[in-house]
Amino acid sequence: MLPFSSWEIGPIFRAMTRNKVGAVLIALQVAVTMCIIVNSVHILMERTEQMARDSGIDEANSFYLSSTGFADDFNDQVVIQTDLDAIRALPGVIDAMQINAIPISGGGWSMGLQTQPGAEFEGVGTAVYMVDDHVLNTLDLELIAGEAFQPSDIRWRERSQRDWPAEIIITRALTENLFPEQSYQDTVGKTLYINDDEPVIIKGIIDKLQAPWVGWERLENAMLSPEQTLFSSSMYFVRTEPGRLDELMPAVEQMLADSNKGRVVRGLRSMQETRERTYRRDQAMIKILTTVMITLTLVTALGIVGLASFNVNRRRKQIGTRRALGASQASVLRYFMLENFLISSIGVILGAVLTVGLNIYLVQSLGLTKLHWWLIPVGMLTLWLVGQLAVLGPARRATATSPAIATRTV
Amino acid sequence: MLNMQNVTKIFRTDLVETRALSDFNLHVKEGEFVTVTGPSGSGKTTFLNIAGLLESFDDGVYDLDGQNVRHLNDTQRSRLRNEKIGFIFQSFNLIPDLDLFDNVDVPLRYRGFNSSERKRRIERCLELVGLANRMKHLPAQLSGGQQQRVAIARALAGEPRFLLADEPTGNLDSKMAHSVMQLLKDINDEGTTIVMVTHDPSLAREAKRNIFVKDGKVSDVTHITASTPEQVASISASGACHV
Ligand SMILES: Nc1ncnc2c1ncn2[C@@H]1O[C@H](COP(=O)(O)OP(=O)(O)OP(=O)(O)O)[C@@H](O)[C@H]1O
Ligand SMILES: [Mg+2]
Repeated sequence: MLPFSSWEIGPIFRAMTRNKVGAVLIALQVAVTMCIIVNSVHILMERTEQMARDSGIDEANSFYLSSTGFADDFNDQVVIQTDLDAIRALPGVIDAMQINAIPISGGGWSMGLQTQPGAEFEGVGTAVYMVDDHVLNTLDLELIAGEAFQPSDIRWRERSQRDWPAEIIITRALTENLFPEQSYQDTVGKTLYINDDEPVIIKGIIDKLQAPWVGWERLENAMLSPEQTLFSSSMYFVRTEPGRLDELMPAVEQMLADSNKGRVVRGLRSMQETRERTYRRDQAMIKILTTVMITLTLVTALGIVGLASFNVNRRRKQIGTRRALGASQASVLRYFMLENFLISSIGVILGAVLTVGLNIYLVQSLGLTKLHWWLIPVGMLTLWLVGQLAVLGPARRATATSPAIATRTV
Repeated sequence: MLNMQNVTKIFRTDLVETRALSDFNLHVKEGEFVTVTGPSGSGKTTFLNIAGLLESFDDGVYDLDGQNVRHLNDTQRSRLRNEKIGFIFQSFNLIPDLDLFDNVDVPLRYRGFNSSERKRRIERCLELVGLANRMKHLPAQLSGGQQQRVAIARALAGEPRFLLADEPTGNLDSKMAHSVMQLLKDINDEGTTIVMVTHDPSLAREAKRNIFVKDGKVSDVTHITASTPEQVASISASGACHV
């Protein structure tokens, strides 16, 4: 191993400054690539994290569908009760209930809750799920304080009705929003006000349940209201034993359609499909960003290959001369690798500045989160590595240059 | 010092086989100044390339400084070139993007000298060729004769035992050619063995020995008398590049 001086860093750098157009362009390309890649990775991570948030329910084994009666003699109350009994009795069904809105589906009902009565107080927003006493089992929720609904708690709600049941169950996140000073256990039994001044009492706290709107910043604010709706359409939510979803979805749909000809059954959809639909844009965004990142990296790598190949060809005589003067093949390889390393270094240092700049802009203009600091060194390392890999081919070709070139070319 | 016996070099292309050297025999002793002349295509450059380990050969024996070089690997050959051989080329072969200092520095870095040692050698050698005040100039800012002087400084900086030159004056006018020749003779008088290919008969006559190459063989050897007193004087003035 020769000493460091044989690495020729100084001469390589000085030679580069006398012939800088190509090097500057590649350094800029590296900088821009790094800036875009690191910010894209940051966005990807943020999206992936959001998509990975737990909705709180047993998504893998759940589906829902709706029933809309049209016959003159259609009695919602009777049909709903009959339907639910029949669904719950099906082998493979763990539980089922009627619900007014589906978590993470995009559409639902929201209300404001406040700890003091009066229109002058600001309420805390929450999603409202109207459910019966089967809710914990059907959605697979965990009650962490207070009590569950009893069958006697459940009431029927007419379309025009404005008032609320006396007791509700809310999520831990919601109660922590309402009572930031207290531990959630202590909020059971407290009175909240809905519609400015109508009191409701916290009967229980559930660990987690997401609202229908995944883009909402208070996504985990949700309340369970013990009531079944008598609206023109009723939605049934069904949870099956693991592995039986595919078989039970059409079975339940068929059963409901057959049991009463005075209605239409539609909107059959699994929770997994609901999740896919909800996050479809994010998935598309991830795909686009990934494609952009790969393309950009490839283009940069090709640029590096191009510049290095050009330099190798342009310097054939110089390489031959260096070989004649005693450069080993390893020295020639190192020369080109080092040259690229220097160009990349300028690129990634500039890239780090651009990356932070773009992130600051995105934070300010689009409300993105701040970049994790470690993405910068990782991005620098990645581009250094891309550069070294890209230059390897041309550099190896350079080592094959015969020293005889020195005397054979004019 | 340099001993070639029946060295044969064949260039093969898809269509033709060229015997550039066939049974080439030559013995160059330590301290000699040998000029090589011969018609174009006779194999002079090929001989020089093999002598300087730039090219391999197909048959025969070549001993450099008592070492058989036939089976050395590329790294060993590079090292021998770096330590024992200095090259001077017809078209100077300076690196255009490096200033004179960095050009002379090239072989010294491969040698692994530290920076103060390199600096000392570079300055001494550029001084020897009369260009110490142009160290920060680029090759393009010099005349052909000056460029060749830099190339000589570069060849000498590593203190090689053996200097090989392929028509070093081929791109120079006769005045510059003679001054370069004078420089080489001074260097030779300091003890460096020199083999120089040239087309110029008047330069060839200035060496101690001239060999004539024809069809890849040494066909004639002329011995010339030793240096004139005038040359001896110029050597002591230059002090040569030995440091
Ligand atoms: N790389 C090569 N491939 C094929 N043939 C070659 C190669 N290099 C040299 N030759 C041939 O070998 C022979 C000797 O060439 P060489 O260059 O040694 O001649 P030279 O005596 O130096 O000529 P000149 O005075 O013109 O420089 C020539 O016939 C030449 O065409
Ligand atoms: Mg020749």
